Amino acid sequence: MKSKTSEPILFEIAENKDLADNPKVLRVILDPKFTRIDFGYNATGQYIKGGWIRMSPKTYVEVQGLAEKFLLTETTGITIAPKKVVFQSVKDWQFFTLYFQPIPQKDCVINIIEEENPTPDDFNYYGIELKMNEGVGILQNL
Amino acid sequence: MTEIIDACWDKLGIDTSPETIQKDMANMRKLPPEGFDAPIYYDHKGRGYAYSDPDYELGGVSLSDTDIETIRESIEFIQTIGGSRISEKFNHAMEKILSTSIEEFSAGNTKQAILQTMNPPKSRGFEHFDLFYKACREKTPVSLVHYSYKKRNFSVLTIHPFMIKEFENKWYVMGFSEKHNQIRTFGLDRVFDPFLLKKKYIPVDKSTCEKEAHDYYGVFPIPNQKKQGVKIHVSALVTNYFEAYPIHESQVIEKEANGSSVISFNLIPTIELTRLFLSHGYHVKVIEPKWLIEFTENLK
Repeated sequence: MKSKTSEPILFEIAENKDLADNPKVLRVILDPKFTRIDFGYNATGQYIKGGWIRMSPKTYVEVQGLAEKFLLTETTGITIAPKKVVFQSVKDWQFFTLYFQPIPQKDCVINIIEEENPTPDDFNYYGIELKMNEGVGILQNL
Repeated sequence: MTEIIDACWDKLGIDTSPETIQKDMANMRKLPPEGFDAPIYYDHKGRGYAYSDPDYELGGVSLSDTDIETIRESIEFIQTIGGSRISEKFNHAMEKILSTSIEEFSAGNTKQAILQTMNPPKSRGFEHFDLFYKACREKTPVSLVHYSYKKRNFSVLTIHPFMIKEFENKWYVMGFSEKHNQIRTFGLDRVFDPFLLKKKYIPVDKSTCEKEAHDYYGVFPIPNQKKQGVKIHVSALVTNYFEAYPIHESQVIEKEANGSSVISFNLIPTIELTRLFLSHGYHVKVIEPKWLIEFTENLK
């Protein structure tokens, strides 16, 4: 359990009925050099072959109480629009990670914003609470 | 010189000549890798050869012809079972041994491979082998993302791993799962981005590790089942396979006059065990316990 550090800190995000669950936010890692957020997505029956996913290049993280936007810098497992990850079936699934500019390593509540005026297809998440005493240090370099 | 020749005969059974001994000593004086940089000089007073450094010993390990042949066979065997079944780290170490072996043991004859094992393409998740190996060895908890194929659900888990297991070319990590509050097994193919955590490790007692190693056929125990007797009736044809390839150390075969048999085991029933029984179709029938008869039927 960490309080004051410059090493990466990992937070497991508990299942929360107030958070969208597909994609599901799984982990947040606060590193001095970046903020990393892991997601899991299950393709749905909305499209015959499961549809597609992608992230807006304008996606950002905001810390409640701060005006600053922490911008998306990199992704793995998902493409940045206009490119898409296209599924082949309604049973496909995808683990993916978004990297943002680093947010301060202290107790905070964050929002992940893909679109400021979202449609149901956009990935927006509000009120993810990160308490430093619930985080765990990571031993390896990321 | 005569004493050296006699010693070669007495200790090595080699009948040699003064010329050969001279050549060997010249080679020993050479610098590595050709020689051993041995500080050999002729002691006029003692009228014989000696080391100028009394503490000098030949480096490396003395290998007999049998040793060298055994190492050759081992390398060939490891090469055969290698490939995707050995992690990159081990492959790298093996390459080093092999490159040494070429220098040390090259007999100038390249053999055709005479061993072949199943060598499937690299599987998803195997890249985590080294991390989990380190976690087990150094007793370090791991955070991982797990995807359940059956439930179609992602979950984040902290596990305290103690064993990596291979079964039918699939790799698994076993450890105490904080979320489940019990020991669980996770297929590496369903594990994403594991991280070593700076957190106190929850150890698993030795008997549990032993149980995991000996009481299962396969990997996934059927929930809430303890070690118990299992009996199957097996046709004469398939009895041959069970005789040839016992599946568990507890296996006992009682043959019937017509060649069929009743085979009993004492183990913790697993999903893999029931799948094995089903894979033989009508040749294998579960007799005991009753619940397993039903369980196996439901898997059809």
